[in-house]
Amino acid sequence: MSRISREEVERVAHLARLRLGGDEAEAMTQALEAILAYVAQLDAVDTEGVPATAHVIPLATPLREDEPEDVLAPDLAVANAPAPRGTAFTVPRVLDDEAEG
Amino acid sequence: MSEPGLGDLAELRAPLAAGSTTATALVERSFARLEALEPTLRAFLFTRREAALGEAAEADRRRSRGALRGPLDGIPIAIKDNIVQAAEPASGASRILEAYVSPFEATAVARLPAAGAVVVGRTNLDEFAMGSSTEHSCQGPSKNPWDTTRSPGGSSGGSAVAVSAGVVPLSLGSDTGGSIRQPAALCGVVGMKPTYGRVSRYGLVAFASSLDQIGPLGRSAADCAALLDAISGHDPHDSTSLPEPPLATRDALSGDVSGLTLGWLREVDDAAGVAPGVRRCVREAVGELERAGAKLREVSLPHTRHAIAAYYLIATAEASSNLARYDGVRYGHRAATQGSLTELYERTRAEGFGAEVKRRILLGTYVLSAGYYDAYYRKAQQVRTLLRRDFEAAFAGCDAIVLPTTPETAFRLGEKSDDPLALYLADVFTVSANLAGLPGVSTPCGTDAGLPVGLQILGPPLADATVLRIADAYQRRTPHHLARPPL
Amino acid sequence: MSPAAYECVIGLEVHVQLRTRSKLFSTADVSYGDEPNHHVSPVCLALPGALPVLNGRAVELAVRAALATGCKVHAHSVFARKHYFYPDLPKAYQISQYEEPLATGGQLTIDAGNGERRIGITRIHMEEDAGKSMHAPGDPETQVDLNRAGVPLVEIVSEPDLRSAEEAGVYLRALRQLLRWVEASDADMEKGQFRCDANVSLRPRGETRLGTRTEIKNLNSFRFVEAAIETEIERQTKQLRKGEAIQQATLGFDAERGRLFVMRIKENADDYRYFPDPDLIPLVLAEARIEEIRAALPELPAARQQRFETEHGLAAADASTLVASRALADWYEAAARAHGQGKSVAPWVLRDVLAALKERDREPESIRLEAEGFASLLRLVDEGRVTARSARELLPELLFEGGDPERLVRERGLEAVSDAGALEGFVDEALAANPKAVESYAAGDAKSLNFLMGQVMRRSAGKADPAAVRALLTRRLEEPK
Repeated sequence: MSRISREEVERVAHLARLRLGGDEAEAMTQALEAILAYVAQLDAVDTEGVPATAHVIPLATPLREDEPEDVLAPDLAVANAPAPRGTAFTVPRVLDDEAEG
Repeated sequence: MSEPGLGDLAELRAPLAAGSTTATALVERSFARLEALEPTLRAFLFTRREAALGEAAEADRRRSRGALRGPLDGIPIAIKDNIVQAAEPASGASRILEAYVSPFEATAVARLPAAGAVVVGRTNLDEFAMGSSTEHSCQGPSKNPWDTTRSPGGSSGGSAVAVSAGVVPLSLGSDTGGSIRQPAALCGVVGMKPTYGRVSRYGLVAFASSLDQIGPLGRSAADCAALLDAISGHDPHDSTSLPEPPLATRDALSGDVSGLTLGWLREVDDAAGVAPGVRRCVREAVGELERAGAKLREVSLPHTRHAIAAYYLIATAEASSNLARYDGVRYGHRAATQGSLTELYERTRAEGFGAEVKRRILLGTYVLSAGYYDAYYRKAQQVRTLLRRDFEAAFAGCDAIVLPTTPETAFRLGEKSDDPLALYLADVFTVSANLAGLPGVSTPCGTDAGLPVGLQILGPPLADATVLRIADAYQRRTPHHLARPPL
Repeated sequence: MSPAAYECVIGLEVHVQLRTRSKLFSTADVSYGDEPNHHVSPVCLALPGALPVLNGRAVELAVRAALATGCKVHAHSVFARKHYFYPDLPKAYQISQYEEPLATGGQLTIDAGNGERRIGITRIHMEEDAGKSMHAPGDPETQVDLNRAGVPLVEIVSEPDLRSAEEAGVYLRALRQLLRWVEASDADMEKGQFRCDANVSLRPRGETRLGTRTEIKNLNSFRFVEAAIETEIERQTKQLRKGEAIQQATLGFDAERGRLFVMRIKENADDYRYFPDPDLIPLVLAEARIEEIRAALPELPAARQQRFETEHGLAAADASTLVASRALADWYEAAARAHGQGKSVAPWVLRDVLAALKERDREPESIRLEAEGFASLLRLVDEGRVTARSARELLPELLFEGGDPERLVRERGLEAVSDAGALEGFVDEALAANPKAVESYAAGDAKSLNFLMGQVMRRSAGKADPAAVRALLTRRLEEPK
C-alpha cells in the first residue's frame, strides 16, 4: 500500500520551497514511503490520554526586561546579503499571488 | 608521522606548568599535526592559525604573570562548524551557508576565552548535523583515523577525528540524536551529551531545537568534564537554558562507583543487529564496573523500540521549520535566476541543500502539514512522553543505565549511503537520551577487529556529574581510552 | 429580494502594537521611519543560531489589553510557529499563539445609535510583526527592511457580532480608546500601530448559518474600514441578488480610488503547519500576577463615564465625549476637583478646549496648561474679574503653552472693567451714537438691548463685565426722560 504519492511529495516540496528534479521527486517519494512505512509502528502504541511532550524542560518560559540592547551595525546586518541595496535586502519584485503561502 | 599528536590535558598541562613548553608551541604542534593529517582525514572546514597564535601568545603572557584562567588556559581546541564564532565563517557543511560569516558568537564559544582555551578551527559535520557518518557534508566525508576507508560517524565526525588523531585534545560537538556519542564511539574518544538545557544553544545552528545540545569530546572523561564545566551554566539568551550555575563536574570525579546501581537494559539483550564483538566489549566493561563496586540490575525501557520512529518525526518536523530561514534573501547562497520570487526560493534551496537535508525537510514538512499533524507529530510527542516515563521508572531503581553506544563499529564509507533508513536505525541506542533530555557519555571500552567500541552511560536529568564520574572511574581501571589509532 | 433582505455579518481581527521599547523576542529597539535595517539584531535577521527570549513588558501589556476587554487570561499559553515564505518574514515562520492563546472570551459594549450592544471578543493572542517589503513603481526588485520585524503585537479577534460598517467603526474606535486608556498601546494608526482585517459575509435575514465570507486585509484608518466594508456589502448584495455565489477571497482596499481588489482566491485552507515553538517553553502566568496587573489598571472608560454622570451631574453624551481619551478625562476631572463644580467646568472643556484642540489638530496629551490653572481661569470668570470672551481668547495660548492665567490676564490688561465711572462713559457713548436703537427699545423692541450691549462691549474692547453693563444699560434706558 502506498502511503505517499509523488503528487503529494511535490505538493510538500512546494510548501517547503524545494524544487525537485525529475529523478529527485521519484527518489524522494520512495525514501519517504519507506520511512513512513517504518514509523507506522507508532499506530499500534496506545497513547489514549497521554499528554504530548513538546519540551523536556519542566519550567515556564523566562521573561526578559524591556531594555533595548545594541543592534547590529547596519553594514554588518547586510554584510552577508547576496544582493543588498544600501542597507536594504532585495528580492525579485513580489507578485500578489506570492503573498503568504 | 613526523609530528606526534597532542596527548590529553594532563599530558599537556605538566610541561606548560613546568615551563618546558608554551601555549604557542602547543598551537604550533596542533597545526603541524593538522597539516600533516588533513589531506587524509579531512576533519576541518576552516582553520584560524593567526588568531589562534595570537590568543596562545596572550595565554603565555598570562602564565608569566601568574594570571592563569583555569585548566584549559592555553589549550588548543576545535569546534564543530555549526557553533558560531564572531567574525568567523559558519557553514554547517552546507552549500547554502557558503561564505557566511557570523556577526555574533555562540554563548558556549564566548565562554572559552574566559577559560583561556584557544580555538584552532572549525570541524566537518553532516550538513546541518543531519546524519551519522559525516558523508552528508557538502565538503565530502571525514575519515576514521582507525581505518581511513571507514566513516568516523557523525554528525560531529570532524570533532571526533580531530581528537582521535591528536590534532587537539578537546573539541566541541552537538548531539541531537547521538551526534557526539556515536562518532566518539567510532573514533575511540570520549564524547558527552549534557542534560538538555545545561549548555546554551544560543549560537548553535539549529537542527531540532528540543533535542539539540552542545557537548565536549576529548581523550578522557576528566578532560570532557573540564570543558563542560567551562561552557555550562545559565544563559539568558536561550529560553531553554536551565537556571543553574556552571557545573563543577571535574570536582566530582572521585574514581569511586561503589554504592552506585547500574541498570542493564533488557532491550539490548533482545536487540537484533548488535555485533557480537560490541556486545562482548560492553559486557566486559560492565563487569569491570561491578568489580569496582557498582551493583548491576536489569531494567527495561519498553518504548525504546519506538524511539527511532518518534525521533525521526520530531527531529524532521523541527528541522523543516528551523531550515526554512535559508532562503537566499539575507545571507547565504542565492540561485542565479531572473525569475519570480518563488522561483528564487525554490532554486536557492534546491541548490543549497544536499539530498539528506532535503529528505528530512520534506518528511518534516509533511508530518506538520494539514491533516497529518495528529497522526504523526502529535503521536510522536505522546510516545516521547511514554519514553520519558519509562526512564523515570527505570531511574527509580538505578543511578545510571549502561549500554552500547552503537550496535556496530565504524562502517565503510558509502556502505549505508543508499539506504537512509538503515542509517537511521543505527541510532537506536542514542536517540532516547535526546528525546528524554538526559545526560549521556560514551567512553572507549575496547576494540573489535581493530575498531573502537563505545560504552554508553546514561543518567537521569541533571546527573551530568554522575555519568562522567562513572566513565572516569572506568578509565582509571582500564587502558582503552589511551589506545591510539594506527596513523 | 431587496437589499434589506440580507443581514450583514462582520468580524474584525485587529493587530495592535504593544507599547514597548524593545521587540517581542529580540532586544533590538522598536523604531519608526528610520533607514532600512538600522534596528535589527541576529534574532530579527533570523541568523543561524539566534534564539528568541520573550519580553516580559510585552506580556504585561497584552494582559492589560485582555483584562480591559473582559477576557479570561490563561495561566498557561503556548507560542507556536506559523510557517509561510515571504521576504519580510525572516525565519519563514511567525511566532504567534494558536491552540493555546493568552486570553479568550471578552466583550466590548458599543452604541452605534441603535442601543447598547455587546460585541464578543473571541481571543487575544501575542505575536511578532513582520518587516516591510517596499515595491517602488517600475523597480524590478522588492526591497526588504526588517526594522519592524519582531515588533510586539496582540491580535484581537472579535466574534462575528457586528452588523454594519458603522458598527464596525464604532467598535474599532472604542477598542482603540480602551487600549490607549490602559496604556497597552499608543495605537497610532498612521504608524501602523492599529491595523484591522475585516471578515464580511451576508446571509438572508433570519438565517442563522454564516454565509461565505471575504477578508479585507490591512485597513489602517477608521474611514477606510467603514468605506471598505460598505463597498464589500454592496458588492456581495449585488452578486447575491443576481443569484451568484460569493467566492471566498482575500481582498485589499485601494483607499485612493475607494475600490476593493482581489489579492488572492482561497481555493483551499492555508497550510501554515503550526506547531509549538521548541525554542520557547510555555508562558505561565500565576493567578497572583494576573491580579497584580488587574489591580494596577486605571478606572476603565465605561466606569468613568458612569461616575461623571452620577457624581458630576453630566449628560450621558457629554460624559461620553470626556472619556474619549484618558488624558482628557483625567485633565477634566482634575480641573473639576480644583474648581469644585464639574458641571460648570464641563461645558468649557466640551466646547472651548475641544475646539482649540481641533483647530490645531492636537491630541489632549499635548495640553500644557495645568488642570489647576484651568480651574483658576474659570474662577476669574465666575468672579467677574475677566470676561468669558477674554478667557476664551486666552485659552488656546494657555492650553498649548501653559502659564498662570491670572498673571497673563494682568499682563495683557484684560481685567474686566466693572468700575462704574468707566462703564458709564462707555454707556453714554453708545447711547449717544445709537439714538435709533434707544428709540426702538422704548418702542418695546427688547432686542435693541443686545445691540446696545454689543456696542458697549466693543467700546470696552471686550473687557467690560457684561452683567454690570446690562444692569447699567437697563437702568439708563428705563429712566424717565
